[in-house]
Amino acid sequence: MAYEPQFYPGATSVAENRRKHMSGDVEKLREISDDDLTTVLGHRAPGTDYPSTHPPLAEMGEPECSIRELVEPTAGAKAGDRVRYVQFVDSMYNAPSTPYFRSYNAAINFRGVDPGTLSGRQVVEARERDMEAIAKFQLETEMTCPALASLRGATVHGHSLRLQEDGVMFDMLERTVLENGQIMAVKDQVGRPIDKKVDMGKPMSDEEAAKRTTIYRVDNVAYRDDAEVIEWVHRVFDQRTKYGFQPL
Amino acid sequence: MTETSSDNGNPIQIEIFPSRLVRPETAKELLTEISNLDGIIRAFIQGPRLPTQVPYGPAKGSVVNHPSREHIQIGDTDIELSVLVGRIRLEIEDEDVKENLREVCERVLPFGFEFREGLFIQKKQTVSDYAKRGPGADPKLLGLYDPKSKVDNITVLNSEESEA
Repeated sequence: MAYEPQFYPGATSVAENRRKHMSGDVEKLREISDDDLTTVLGHRAPGTDYPSTHPPLAEMGEPECSIRELVEPTAGAKAGDRVRYVQFVDSMYNAPSTPYFRSYNAAINFRGVDPGTLSGRQVVEARERDMEAIAKFQLETEMTCPALASLRGATVHGHSLRLQEDGVMFDMLERTVLENGQIMAVKDQVGRPIDKKVDMGKPMSDEEAAKRTTIYRVDNVAYRDDAEVIEWVHRVFDQRTKYGFQPL
Repeated sequence: MTETSSDNGNPIQIEIFPSRLVRPETAKELLTEISNLDGIIRAFIQGPRLPTQVPYGPAKGSVVNHPSREHIQIGDTDIELSVLVGRIRLEIEDEDVKENLREVCERVLPFGFEFREGLFIQKKQTVSDYAKRGPGADPKLLGLYDPKSKVDNITVLNSEESEA
């Protein structure tokens, strides 16, 4: 019988969503074109070639190495792309994803990535075209609500603040604005104005966000409501405590 | 060191904490209604800062143009909002004013709010206050300004009435 990874315990909607984010089996909700994505990331002009830091691997004459033969390089590594980053910020008010689950998603489902998990933001470094593939995947699927999550390379502090009156996460640099029910990006991820507005999609309703979130909250699905999760967390703590206990 | 405003009678301090960060239009409506109430001694608004320029990162120095950084008109006074209103702390004269204040909030804030009584504005001069303003400082300004701030962002409303 083939092994099926289980990813995360629990019977609640939050546990189910956590499993979805980790497995990459998420629903696609919107479309963002490659040029639009490049514009909001702000690393290069849309339509231009990927700058490279070394020649394509095929031209480099790599040394004989069994590991190199075994591991297929990613598209970005093969072409010699620069390493670039994408950084997400997710609101604490029922945003669909959280830094940990974005990192799980990147590390489990993509190769050649370096996810960095912080309390309020999550950064992925990778070869440029590999990074863009992850950013596109996470932005287009239910992992992101454009009102409750956004791309922020700097000044990320809105994640822990109350939402604005219009239900959008506060952004000191106002990189996105709510226009006619759509979230439009007017600046790139570090706050430089961009030439044309980029449609990031429609915000989720409060009910939809509560249904799709991976955050346990007492005003939605409380952590202690999930008996199986509690049981496994207790087990992990219990076993690692006993493992660390080494009497003389 | 000096007499404070709180030594005159026994004023009550109130904090209004909206469930959402308030838009400038709602803030204007709320502040106008509050300024029309009798018995408000002093108030201050607090919230996340809205900078005019990007403070750090690759875009440092770029103009932000935050739409919520607006000038609002309260009575005859023009105030530039440099924060998105997150909470309002007030010193009021008595319990009657408190109920009027609660009514205003219920009318103006559609998304709910917390309304609490406590000690939110300092009653005594700190060492920094004393160093900055000296012994003759106006007790009404106590707790309303940041001693380290280089800009004066205190606005006096209804000054004619208070002088009368």
